[in-house]
Amino acid sequence: MILILALGVGTINHSFWSVSTVFDIFRNSFVNLIFALGVLVVLASGGIDVSFAAIGIFAGYATAVIFLRSRIEVSVVVPFIVAAAMGLILGLANGAVIATFRLPTLIVTLGTQGIIRGALLLYIGAKALGQLPDALETLNRIDLLRLQLPNGDLARLNIMLIPVVILCVLTELLLRYTVLGRGIYAVGGDVESARRAGFPVARIQLFVYTFVGMLAGMAGMAHVALSRQANPYDLVGGELNVIAAVVLGGASLFGGKGSVLGTVLGVILISLIHNCLILLGVPSFWERATIGLLLLIGAAAQALGNLRQPTMNTVATGAVR
Amino acid sequence: MSSFVFSRDFTSRLVSPLQRNRSTLRLVVITLLLLTAFTIFSPVPFLGVINFQSMGFQVTEVALLSLAMMLSMLTGGIDLSVVSIMNLSAIMTAKLLAANRVPAGAWGPLLLCIGAGVGVGVMCGVLNGLLITRARITPILATLGTMQLLNGIAIIWTRGTSVLVSQDDFINIGNGTIAGIPIPFAILLVTSVAVALLINRTALGVRLTLVGANPTAARFSGLDNNRVLLLTYMTSGFLAAVAGIVIASRSASANPDYGATYILLAIVIVVLGGVNPYGGYATVGGVVLAAICLQIVGSGFNFMRFSLFAYEIAQGLIVIGVLVIDGLTDRGIFRFPLWPKKRRSRDVAGSTPGEENDPVARE
Repeated sequence: MILILALGVGTINHSFWSVSTVFDIFRNSFVNLIFALGVLVVLASGGIDVSFAAIGIFAGYATAVIFLRSRIEVSVVVPFIVAAAMGLILGLANGAVIATFRLPTLIVTLGTQGIIRGALLLYIGAKALGQLPDALETLNRIDLLRLQLPNGDLARLNIMLIPVVILCVLTELLLRYTVLGRGIYAVGGDVESARRAGFPVARIQLFVYTFVGMLAGMAGMAHVALSRQANPYDLVGGELNVIAAVVLGGASLFGGKGSVLGTVLGVILISLIHNCLILLGVPSFWERATIGLLLLIGAAAQALGNLRQPTMNTVATGAVR
Repeated sequence: MSSFVFSRDFTSRLVSPLQRNRSTLRLVVITLLLLTAFTIFSPVPFLGVINFQSMGFQVTEVALLSLAMMLSMLTGGIDLSVVSIMNLSAIMTAKLLAANRVPAGAWGPLLLCIGAGVGVGVMCGVLNGLLITRARITPILATLGTMQLLNGIAIIWTRGTSVLVSQDDFINIGNGTIAGIPIPFAILLVTSVAVALLINRTALGVRLTLVGANPTAARFSGLDNNRVLLLTYMTSGFLAAVAGIVIASRSASANPDYGATYILLAIVIVVLGGVNPYGGYATVGGVVLAAICLQIVGSGFNFMRFSLFAYEIAQGLIVIGVLVIDGLTDRGIFRFPLWPKKRRSRDVAGSTPGEENDPVARE
């Protein structure tokens, strides 16, 4: 389904078919994809997290501020680790509250989002920073592939592709081949059943939200690096695009379903639409409506498809797409 | 097994009235505490007619949204699109007023424009309802989608700008007072009473609550769940539209992105007001009181020169705090399940977590 859409959109505009566009789409997708991997895990566990964007920008901005102020010379990797650690702690808080008190995940993460964003803007700073620590600046200049095209353009595939791919693979391994992964899907399928089957539900949930927090931290750092500025007002508001992407990729909001491949395709699709709208010259305000519409269509298709399947299948079969 | 079920029922029936009274009582206590605290700590006099009046003006919008949210939560779902519906209705009314240059004193056309705005809200509600009942999309996802879609439509319609209104009568609605009471607040009171009557005294209201408390039982009782849900989201849309009209009138403009922070605020209010997010229990009085409470917090923060961001933090803390306290105090009796599931036929003996709520709401 996704491929059809891609082809369809592509044929409308011929300048679409160029390597640099493809690389552009990839580059735009990186941040969302990292977020999406986390969201996938959360959705698979039957919960929802809307605070990941806030966690992301918090981690990204705070890390940037730390390294700018202290002027420590570090390699590129360190800020990411720091940001991931921040995200991890925040996600841990989320998970602790949700798992211990068994609260509705939407509301808790909505609250957390408010707290984190408020804390960021209030205590750490509300100004956009245009200058990043040197380590992060270099990230923009390192390319994986550089192709000189016939028409003289330079197509650059950013190095970030490597870490992103690694994360995807790791997530896939986690979901499909570990007991924890099966546990996540089981909890998503039916909490009570999972609990009675012996899965440590609280610990699984704790892990899930910590995981998404950690990924969010990394994604936020990536965003800051790739967009060459640290703007604390960024990212929040874009949660929907990520959630839409994950849902379009096949994850069910009820949990128990979803795969990394689907998520990747979903994120690419969203980026595709974003790019295509620009290429087609459609004013940017159509984008929100389009994504909303797509989300609804995708969700409807999925829900109606669910009706035809006997519902028992989704619980025990784990990583079924 | 049956005695296990019996004792659960019994304890829940015992606890329900306690919980019901307790949450309203708790709210009153909190409100009074807040008022005293702010009176003491505020550099500028807090208890004053002007302040109360201005709070009365401001509280209406969010309170109406919270009522809309409450309705959808009663049925066990949620309506995340209320803010978008609100803005869309406001834009509709504003555009009509601007396009037709309705003069002051022409109440007929004015009411028509307002009616159109409200109509838009109801239609959006219908859209939500259809998506949830016909397309079988879960409420969260459906309203998430409509939130985006309607917001997008509003942006497209206004090209991202605000629509200004200059019709005096209309503006008076939002900014005038009757006998010292701000008109918007009066609208809120009237609407609350209407909603309370709807929930408690009409057949629809009871059905609504039952569908939320136990959809399977409702279906087996012969209720048409789909129709009830449709009507619920329609009413929710209606309330959101009224909120939009109030906003348009008060600020003399309509903007597609207004009130982005209201969703969190509405949910905080609803939770504080004692509504069970899984459906089946809510009081209008609780929600309105909670709205007033949070308005006091907001105004108080303003008086004490706390930043807006502190307000956001406070909202998050409040909602989580209330949930935690509720979860803690009712532990062992009200065990919140992880996530409101579509009830497949759960014949697991003796265990249907989260369904012990007494499906009767009281004012």
